Amino acid sequence: MGNVLEIKPLSRVEGHGTVKVSIAGRQVESVQLNLIESPRLFEALLVGKPYDELPEIICRICSICSSVHRVTSLQAIEAALCIGISEPTALYRELIVAGGQIESHSLHLFCLVLPDYFDSAGFAELATKAPAEFKTGLRIKAAGNRIQELVGGRLIHPANLVPGGMGKRPARDELKRLRDELLEVLPDAVKACELFATCPTHLHPANFTPPTYLAVQSDDSESSPVKQLVTSNGQGTDITRYRELLPEQVVPHSYAKQSRAGGEIVAVGALSRLNLGIQLSSRSAQAFFDARSQLLGAPISANVLAQGVELIHSVEQSIALIDTLLDHPATCEPRAPLHIHEGIGTAALEAPRGVLIHRYELDNRGICIAADIVTPTAINQAAMERDLYALASALTGTDESELKRQLEMLVRAYDPCISCAVHVVRI
Amino acid sequence: MTRPTLAIAGLTACFGCQLTLLNCEAELPTLAERFDFTYFPMGSSRHDIGGEFSAALVEGSVSTPDDLETLVKLRSRSRILVAFGTCACWGGVAAMNNHLSREAMTESVYGKGAGPTGSFNPCPLHRFVTVDFSINGCPPEKHELLTTLAALLHGTLPVFPQYPVCTECRNRECLCLLIERGEPCLGPITQAGCNARCPAVSIKCEGCRGPVTEANVASELEVLLEKGISREEVIRRMRRFYPEWDYGQRS
Repeated sequence: MGNVLEIKPLSRVEGHGTVKVSIAGRQVESVQLNLIESPRLFEALLVGKPYDELPEIICRICSICSSVHRVTSLQAIEAALCIGISEPTALYRELIVAGGQIESHSLHLFCLVLPDYFDSAGFAELATKAPAEFKTGLRIKAAGNRIQELVGGRLIHPANLVPGGMGKRPARDELKRLRDELLEVLPDAVKACELFATCPTHLHPANFTPPTYLAVQSDDSESSPVKQLVTSNGQGTDITRYRELLPEQVVPHSYAKQSRAGGEIVAVGALSRLNLGIQLSSRSAQAFFDARSQLLGAPISANVLAQGVELIHSVEQSIALIDTLLDHPATCEPRAPLHIHEGIGTAALEAPRGVLIHRYELDNRGICIAADIVTPTAINQAAMERDLYALASALTGTDESELKRQLEMLVRAYDPCISCAVHVVRI
Repeated sequence: MTRPTLAIAGLTACFGCQLTLLNCEAELPTLAERFDFTYFPMGSSRHDIGGEFSAALVEGSVSTPDDLETLVKLRSRSRILVAFGTCACWGGVAAMNNHLSREAMTESVYGKGAGPTGSFNPCPLHRFVTVDFSINGCPPEKHELLTTLAALLHGTLPVFPQYPVCTECRNRECLCLLIERGEPCLGPITQAGCNARCPAVSIKCEGCRGPVTEANVASELEVLLEKGISREEVIRRMRRFYPEWDYGQRS
């Protein structure tokens, strides 16, 4: 007699998902991760819209990743229309992406994951059980949001970034205030990383397969034209040919489409970036060095610590970006001139949860005729299912509530963003 | 003293309204003290929808049978039901193409017969249940959320401005993007409360807070047509967050 264990809904994640485990006797027969976010058919919403409306619409695909979606979308449009942007515009975009990462990582670490470390159901209980840690996390999170609000005009769904430039640049004194705030939270970020390096994880040490990591690599700045998708087992391709590496398939139990690299299950996100050697700022490089034995070649349970390292990096990177911006004159130069023509543009960036790709086809009036968006959670879906299977198998016979708790913790380690993943693609 | 019990739920949406709650970093520890977050799956793994709620804040539009089930449950168990954010109040981005065939859109995305079934055109909450209060915006403003929660603690509800974004924009002395630059700014017909965030950074209002009471829609349309913007473009922009404008309405 088999029985089915269902976790519905998955809690403390962004979006609607469920996990279904079919167990026969002491054997796990199958594990299904269902991403059941209601499909909003974003691809169909974009088709027929002019290029300048695309970033405004598509950032609504997801709240936590809205800044990086906005910037990726702008880059894809600018690639299609061959628009160059000024250095300050490029720097502001890097800054808002870093701010989004600070906000997203600290939300995940302190509001969604940390309750597991303090035997709490959620942030409300955590606020009484570990008030100091919780408040530290919220301070860091607030600094990330300050960046997004100052550069983007609001905390979620930034408005200030448009094709070819910006609406208005932040005033110098506001940049300086932001810099001070970031300097203040830098020690908090270092402390946060130490917390996740020393706190024992409650996740069962099942025999997880170390993932094949995937990340976007570029020379240095986000405006760099040459970007590659690379994997830890030596595959790589120019981002414009991403479909050769990441063919997508529709799976019946999920509204998200799955992606595998060359038929192989890959994982993206903070842990993958660190393993593939992203450039780190000085204090984050030190933190990475100190924790390398826990991070290099590690399974996804180490992703939480990897996010801690990146938290330091993003704060330091933001301070450095502001320093560079303060050297530029504050006046806004006119936006780059636009010549509308037909074209195809692809852009890839590292979102907090991993590789994010946008691709648009525009007709000769600049109207979108096809759109494709590959999100990190869609890429991670296959790896999540594989690891859930390994964990459920390792825990057969455990009581149901503990099994559920463990499976949820594993899903959380991937930091899934289900509203992003349930998008809509046509190739 | 018993604490008010809250349900915070998301239907078809981006989770941005719920994130707005978690973005109240300075106030979150106090909120955790004053309220019992009984049902809030995004924020807690103990989520009980079986009890009674002082208030339910519901994000998102209704587009699946599951959405509808959650909504009806929350309505029947809550003293006050708050439509939280533009999708819940007006339909939002997911509803902008409601005039097109949903079947054709689904097929264009997932292929013929391959897509998920059972979903329908996204609708605002008031299409199905009585809504007691609304917090507009995509995203909603933190201060409007906090004002609402503070009022709930005192057993009342706040009053939000009933004037258009233009009023706030003029108060801030921003350049008028519609008159001075001829851009299709939707400030004149959009509900205020955001302190004209977008025009303040020289970005035209996209109408994310939905229609203001007694919006002079026909007049806005006339002005924009005079500025040489096509009717098609104006209507497409207006539909972005609310697909059911009455284009002939005059205040």
